[in-house]
Amino acid sequence: MRPALRRGTRILAIALALLLGGAACSDTERRPDAKESGSGRTDSGPKKKGGSVTIANTAGQTWTCNFNPFNPAVFNTSIGFVYEPLVFVNVLGNAAEKPMLAKSYRWNADKTEIVFTVRDGVKWSDGKPLTAEDVAYTFDIMKRVPATDLYSLWTSAGLQSATAAGDKVTLRFKQAAQTYFYFFANLQPIVPKHIWSTGELASRPDTTSVKDPVGTGPFKVDPCGPNNIQYTANTDYWQPGKPYLEKVQYPAYLDNAPANLDLASGKAQWGSQYIPGIEKFYLDKSADHHTWSPPVQNVAIYPNLDPSHADTSRLEVRQAISYAIDRAKVAEIAVGGQQPPANQSGIVTPTFEKYYDAAAVTKAGFGKPDPDRAKKLVEGLGHSASDPLKLTIITVTGYTDWDAALKVVKQNLAPVGIELTVQNLAQQAYLDKLYNGDYDLAYYSQPSGGPTPYYELRAMLHSANTAPLGKPAVSNHSRYRNPAVDKLLNDYATADEAGQVDIVKQVGQVMIDDVPVIPVTESVDWFQYNTEDIGGWPTEDNPYAQPSAYTFPDTGQVLANLYWKPAQ
Amino acid sequence: MRFLLRRLGFFVLTLWAALTLNFFVPRFMPGDPVAALTARTRGRVSRDALEQMLTSFGYKPDQNLFVQYVEYLGNMFTGDWGRSIGGQLGEPVTGLIGQALPWTLGLVGITTVLAFALGTMIGTVAGWRRGGWLDSLLPPVFVVTSALPVFWVALMLIFAFSMNAGSVLPGTFNYDNSIVPGFSPGFVGSVLQHAVLPAATLLITLIGGWILTMRNNMITTLAEDYVRMGRAKGLSPRRVMYGYAARNAVLPNLTGFAMSLGFVVSGAVLIEFVFSYNGVGYLFYNSVQNVDYPLMQALFMLFTVAVLAALLIVDIATVWLDPRARSADAGGR
Repeated sequence: MRPALRRGTRILAIALALLLGGAACSDTERRPDAKESGSGRTDSGPKKKGGSVTIANTAGQTWTCNFNPFNPAVFNTSIGFVYEPLVFVNVLGNAAEKPMLAKSYRWNADKTEIVFTVRDGVKWSDGKPLTAEDVAYTFDIMKRVPATDLYSLWTSAGLQSATAAGDKVTLRFKQAAQTYFYFFANLQPIVPKHIWSTGELASRPDTTSVKDPVGTGPFKVDPCGPNNIQYTANTDYWQPGKPYLEKVQYPAYLDNAPANLDLASGKAQWGSQYIPGIEKFYLDKSADHHTWSPPVQNVAIYPNLDPSHADTSRLEVRQAISYAIDRAKVAEIAVGGQQPPANQSGIVTPTFEKYYDAAAVTKAGFGKPDPDRAKKLVEGLGHSASDPLKLTIITVTGYTDWDAALKVVKQNLAPVGIELTVQNLAQQAYLDKLYNGDYDLAYYSQPSGGPTPYYELRAMLHSANTAPLGKPAVSNHSRYRNPAVDKLLNDYATADEAGQVDIVKQVGQVMIDDVPVIPVTESVDWFQYNTEDIGGWPTEDNPYAQPSAYTFPDTGQVLANLYWKPAQ
Repeated sequence: MRFLLRRLGFFVLTLWAALTLNFFVPRFMPGDPVAALTARTRGRVSRDALEQMLTSFGYKPDQNLFVQYVEYLGNMFTGDWGRSIGGQLGEPVTGLIGQALPWTLGLVGITTVLAFALGTMIGTVAGWRRGGWLDSLLPPVFVVTSALPVFWVALMLIFAFSMNAGSVLPGTFNYDNSIVPGFSPGFVGSVLQHAVLPAATLLITLIGGWILTMRNNMITTLAEDYVRMGRAKGLSPRRVMYGYAARNAVLPNLTGFAMSLGFVVSGAVLIEFVFSYNGVGYLFYNSVQNVDYPLMQALFMLFTVAVLAALLIVDIATVWLDPRARSADAGGR
């Protein structure tokens, strides 16, 4: 016993000595915190360099330090930061375009062929110039390795060829491909041929891990660890003078709570998740704390329209629900007004105001909640408050804002004679039921839209996006099938701008007439920002990009524009 | 020898059963990796494209389940654990585990040992001075704390030490993100500082069990004749307490301790989640969230092997230490 103890002490002593010895021979290396003194001017025009921003966007896991832009798991940390698209399309600015790696482009008359002129003077971060070959090669990778063709360009979009000549790149499509422009020009980043045509990256561009990415973007990875990615400014960036910030810190927050705490304390300046009770928790902490979360899609009740679901496939039931819901109240109570109320036409306002037909919504009686009308509809079906129609809605456990919203909806429906049961499911079980159509009502938000309402409406309503019950649907989970709507949505691809607005308005009218989906609130791009040391944020008055740190390639626009106030 | 073989046979059989369950149970859970990835990529990428992507990382939705099972069994033994098809898409599973395991071993391992050592010590003294102030204070207090839900204790500690009172101790992460990891005083200090709260939570909830069992064992042992003999011989109380009583009283607890060492590998999911401490427990939580079959499989396998191996070692050690266990085995012959 005793000798063993002594042996233990000796080991401890050696360990301690090692620890101290090791400690003595190296100093703690701290990431520089480029806080410099200076006046805080906030004028526009070129800015002096310096400073850093810390992003608080919950990652839910540690970083893998892979920056392969064909890997959907790392889109958020690679695209916008390191890799750039041909053209940036601003969803919040009426799809305004900003030429990026392509300085211009031209469609042919029937929109089946597009010619990009590649910008000259752009350098990859390893010093080699960007060429049209790089662009064509990026699209060739997607043809060669279908797993990298994440936007189905060579299949659904009908891409036939991508050829480079001089500084021009031509993409030829089988049919009009204008609606895919958002994807191939904006979402798809360009990679350098000289890196991606050798070794493992050439043979397995889909699965190969890229630790040291070479891109054209405003920042470079330097260094990346499991807990934090540090980006440093690309000093050879093609936009003159940009980026203004020297560093970006992107810690891997495993949960919302610590991310929100760091935002509240000012340790992180760029927030991108829902903060409950944001006034007290965040905004009141400092006059420099701001939030602006622009709406981009709908959060809606998806009724199951399959005839086997007798109640929800009846128009009267869906109309009654839509009339009964007090959307403004849901928005106010459920998310503290952080998500605006939606409308039955499914057009997200104010983001897509020009497509919104307010008169049509009002005319159909959806302008404000109308419980009396809902009551009449329910009575017509033989139900009343004392003998209610029983419906169940599925939602995700842990989505507290959805829970709160459904509580209000439930209260709204009870007096008109609909008894709503809220069924909380684990995310996997919920998605399983939703995709396969195994539900009556589902509370759901399309995960992403596009630069016009067309993209969300198509996802919700086009019959190509649905499937029979028991088979997973792509996005039309309510199983809506209407040939007239399909035709409208198909015609959108070849229509001119005025025609497109008209088509969206017509589809909005169908949303009002058929009530295939019941929008309740509008989902937003979560965004909180701190103006103490950093300026140049996108704001309601200057919405130059979607502001959340998880929206790519918009992050690239924001990163290039942020500047450090103390350095000015 | 025969005993050893029988134990080994039992080990292999249990391992096989556990591995089989590990393979099939996750696949019978609702949801699939494609749906999880669709949700995570915010629907920007079509289902077909994602399925194709996952397939290139080794996901085989259409292959016969039995063929996959046989292949899986083989892979578990060869160490070819595949790549993650969940949140850390494409990362080799071995790398992910290798990164998380040291943190868990460090935090949960050291805390488990510490809880056992401290608990046994307190239990010994409490049992020796039965009815004394220590005995009437500590065991009841720690029995209460060990019954508290672990996440609640964690939240309370975070609330007390890292949110109020000027955030004395960090309540998230395993080290300060502004420090470049390396063998430096700042880094080591930061790691230790970040370990205080999660370790305290574990200690508070683990120690009670050890105190209570050790105290009760002590009381039983103190009634033994050899203890009375030792006292009668006039040995110093210290000698009787440690050499005669505690030494025998601790034996039953050693089994439990060895088993709890086996459970160290599986981490402390709740603790790691609440403290955003990226160890194995958190990795496991994530793999289930994202229906990451390869990662889940490998982790399940590690947990099973660790516990089974601990049990096997305990079995063998008990036989070696305690002649009674041996003779019971011999009696069956």
